[in-house]
Amino acid sequence: MNILKGIIEKLTIHGKLTLINLKVKDVLMSAIVIDTPDTAPYLKTGNEITVLFKETEVIMATGNTDQISLRNKFYGTIDKIETNEILSKLTINTSVGKIKSIITTNAVNQLQLKKNIEVTAMVKTNEIMLSE
Amino acid sequence: MIEIDIHKKLKSSQGEMLLNIQTTIKKGDLVTLYGNSGAGKTSILRIVAGLLQPDSGKINVNGKTWLNTAKKINLKPQKRKVGFVFQDYALFPNMTVKENLLFALNKGEDNSIVNHLVEIIELGELQNRKPQTLSGGQKQRVALARALVQKPSILMLDEPLSALDSEIRFKLQQYILNVHKEYKLTTLLISHDISEIIRMSDKVLQIEHGKITRQGKPNEVFNYTGLSAKFQFTGTIIEISKQDFLYILSIRIGKDLVKVVADETEGEHLKAGDKIVVSAKALNPIIQKIG
Repeated sequence: MNILKGIIEKLTIHGKLTLINLKVKDVLMSAIVIDTPDTAPYLKTGNEITVLFKETEVIMATGNTDQISLRNKFYGTIDKIETNEILSKLTINTSVGKIKSIITTNAVNQLQLKKNIEVTAMVKTNEIMLSE
Repeated sequence: MIEIDIHKKLKSSQGEMLLNIQTTIKKGDLVTLYGNSGAGKTSILRIVAGLLQPDSGKINVNGKTWLNTAKKINLKPQKRKVGFVFQDYALFPNMTVKENLLFALNKGEDNSIVNHLVEIIELGELQNRKPQTLSGGQKQRVALARALVQKPSILMLDEPLSALDSEIRFKLQQYILNVHKEYKLTTLLISHDISEIIRMSDKVLQIEHGKITRQGKPNEVFNYTGLSAKFQFTGTIIEISKQDFLYILSIRIGKDLVKVVADETEGEHLKAGDKIVVSAKALNPIIQKIG
């Protein structure tokens, strides 16, 4: 599990859904929840919040990622790669701390991921969980 | 607000036990008493209801003294405005559903509450039937309605759902939550079912051997992180095995067996038999109608 602390910058509420823009250190993130400030009082601009996402939800990319729809991007370098038959686990040093990702070993080979190369770790808005 | 400070020596199958309870319950909260059999949960409800006399103590309800042994104040049960629902329904067999409800009214009281209860607990079609023709869930709905006829300030539910199957149970939970809100009740529930407790309670009191050992919101007492996830279940681990960087878990959730993957930080503390909360974002599942 990747666990970060962030501050809520903006809430966009429509019907039963809320889109949350938050800042984790210098990185802007977004999350979506089936809640509103009425049903979840922690949804308040300026509140500190815990942001969680699983290693298996973290997508890896090399090179330019400007044209990708994912709203949560962490730039960094690979600190460690552990490889198994099917899956590999990557630890990436980013400005928000270490982010872990589990992707297929095939993908690691195809992208030629190695220690110290520059990568972007990305997570979809709807995979981000929040906790007070 | 209910302030409770009670002491009583109880005799249980394991010998003598000192019941020693101090707590404050906020008006309008649904509070669950959770703990093993024989921990003293039912005795607490019975003392608050006035059905059991403590050795010493005080009970104040919304500023009114119900009990103060030092000042020799002890309101009779019928003066305490408490509605009680037990596991067995205790309905009068010779009366119809409606008659059972009307019988609970004091003489001369307006019977509009009975009609209102029939409406919100959806007893309309059952109101002219006798209890023996009703299912367990239906009887328990009648018992719930009857407990509310006198507009109690506290509703007490002593494992009201434990004899019912899971589908009926879920429906009854909704009825209880509806009346709890509608009548702005303060509700004390005894339950062993963690998913029921999580779904229903504002606060949990964990009772062990006559004492409160933990209290707080369900996530504080059961020690899990409250998440924004809406796809959330409680289950029991049947099997856990490690593969690569992951743990593969077989979990029994209600009647279903599911498999999920946990990462190393989640999985390393888990073993077969553990009770767990499984949470996922609600946006992932694929829904297909069956049948």
